[in-house]
Amino acid sequence: MRSFLFAFSVVLFTTGAWAQSEKAPQQVSSADVQALLARIEKLEERVTELEAKQATIRTSAAFTTAQSNPESAPSAPVTQAQQPKPAPMTNMAEEMQGMHTVLARAGEEYPNLKIRGFGDIDFGANSARGVNSGFQLGQFVLHFASALSPKVSYFAEVSLTATPGVYNVDLERTIIRYDWNDLAKISFGRYHTPVNYWNTAFHHGAWLQTTIARPDMIVVGSRFIPVHFIGAQSEGSIPSGPLGAGYNLGIGNGRSLNIARAGDSGDVNNNRAWLGNFYLRPPALRHFQIGGSVYRDEITFPSTTLLTDGQNFREWIASGHLIWNGETPEFYAEFANVHHRSELTGRTLDSQGGYVQIAYRLPFDAKKWKPYYRYDYLQVPANEPTLPDFVNVRKSTLGMRYDISDFAAFKAEYRNGRGNPLPQRSNAFALQTAFTF
Amino acid sequence: MIRRTRTLQLLLLTIVLLGFMFSGNAQSRSNDVAVVVNPAAPVSDLTLSQARRIFRGDQQYWNADLPIVLLVRNPPSRERDVILKQLYSMTEAEFKQYWIAKIFRAEATSGPKIVYSNSMAADLVKVIPGAIAFMAARDVDPGLKVVKIDGHLPGDPQYPLR
Repeated sequence: MRSFLFAFSVVLFTTGAWAQSEKAPQQVSSADVQALLARIEKLEERVTELEAKQATIRTSAAFTTAQSNPESAPSAPVTQAQQPKPAPMTNMAEEMQGMHTVLARAGEEYPNLKIRGFGDIDFGANSARGVNSGFQLGQFVLHFASALSPKVSYFAEVSLTATPGVYNVDLERTIIRYDWNDLAKISFGRYHTPVNYWNTAFHHGAWLQTTIARPDMIVVGSRFIPVHFIGAQSEGSIPSGPLGAGYNLGIGNGRSLNIARAGDSGDVNNNRAWLGNFYLRPPALRHFQIGGSVYRDEITFPSTTLLTDGQNFREWIASGHLIWNGETPEFYAEFANVHHRSELTGRTLDSQGGYVQIAYRLPFDAKKWKPYYRYDYLQVPANEPTLPDFVNVRKSTLGMRYDISDFAAFKAEYRNGRGNPLPQRSNAFALQTAFTF
Repeated sequence: MIRRTRTLQLLLLTIVLLGFMFSGNAQSRSNDVAVVVNPAAPVSDLTLSQARRIFRGDQQYWNADLPIVLLVRNPPSRERDVILKQLYSMTEAEFKQYWIAKIFRAEATSGPKIVYSNSMAADLVKVIPGAIAFMAARDVDPGLKVVKIDGHLPGDPQYPLR
């Protein structure tokens, strides 16, 4: 394993050095780009105008020649000397070509940092006793993407979450990636664990997801499956023709002593977690994806925690997803089985979780509206020591999304059911406006 | 006499109908959208599936040394409409959201480069190694490499991008 990691490192640093040694292209500011575009537009208008004039001159010259010598008209419409000089148009075409070349370099300067933000503001009310209703600031998320060279790129994601008394700032993702080719893109950093489709597709982008809340199996601070993963990954496509197969393979620290957290500062038990994810995304079926994942780790609890089954548990997670991410309809179904085995007693426990979500973008004048429904299911054994006080989930969510623009949406949701964290059945109503900027 | 007149009328009608059909075909062929690449790109024939994977950013390299650079026309343009329909199967809004989501998932650092005219697309394809673009077939320069789609060039009756 060490030699494998060493090879990863060598590849990354060698190519990084190579990328840095490339001659940096001339910088082109956005003001320059706008000025060039305006100039090109004028030149293209001028070319069209000149071409029209040239055609008129040719026609009138041919007409004049035909009048003076009707017999020769069809064979000799215009002599070379009679044609207008082409020089101005040629110069303009060359100038345009030059400017296009300059524009082409605009996106190739490195690093070319791009920032996108996601935000949401929420209102919630619940019929359960002891639960307050009111407005809530959701997550404010900044997403960074920067190409460092044609084959090296960096991604990061920072979230600010309102909690009682303080804003919680978290580095959700930080990933440096070297693209060997389409088959192998090797990266290091902190990821959304690709053991769950929703987790990688929407995790902190409330605007990206149809619903207000995430499925219960992958909520913020989820203990059911690991949300984050720190380590190294290789991802890419697998030559498979029309099947469009792809994969992720990863090795990392696994869960921390608090199993809702990843091992950011180190591996708590010196036992690496690893994962594999395989999926099919056929190009002919643009919205379709089917796949499965496995995740292996060892969970360690603090020595101060007294558990009858000891402090260490082997963890196996197997999951699958079936996705149609279109709009008419949209369909998501995911399922995961979490298997724990006590290293002290050998006792095994299995928990299951999943959801099914369906939505449909309405047609014609109502296309801004998208009604949806989701059913969440989580079943954890009562005596599961790694998930104490976990309340099983049986929940229905019925909602409507209204896209006020291409980049902002309103959502309204009614939820009925019981489950984590409320043990009793309750009715809840939620509103959200989510956007990207 | 009457019979001969009717035959002539029928013949004329047939000619007119055939004329409409052929002019329609010629019109649709002149509206073909050509996929062009930089001459350095090691490709001359793509299946429609491969073209979809490339324009959707699922295939990002021609080979280990040559990244694919996507050039896409700005809206509104007929060429863009054809590509959004045939290769992306998306509306304009879905196209924007698709690339935002793709960058969010760390699958790409940026969306396609935007070009503002067919001549700009042609100029950029010539100078950017690995560039791929689409343009009206009638605007293709002699210096560009036109890629066959499913074995057909623009103008062929079975050419899919029109």
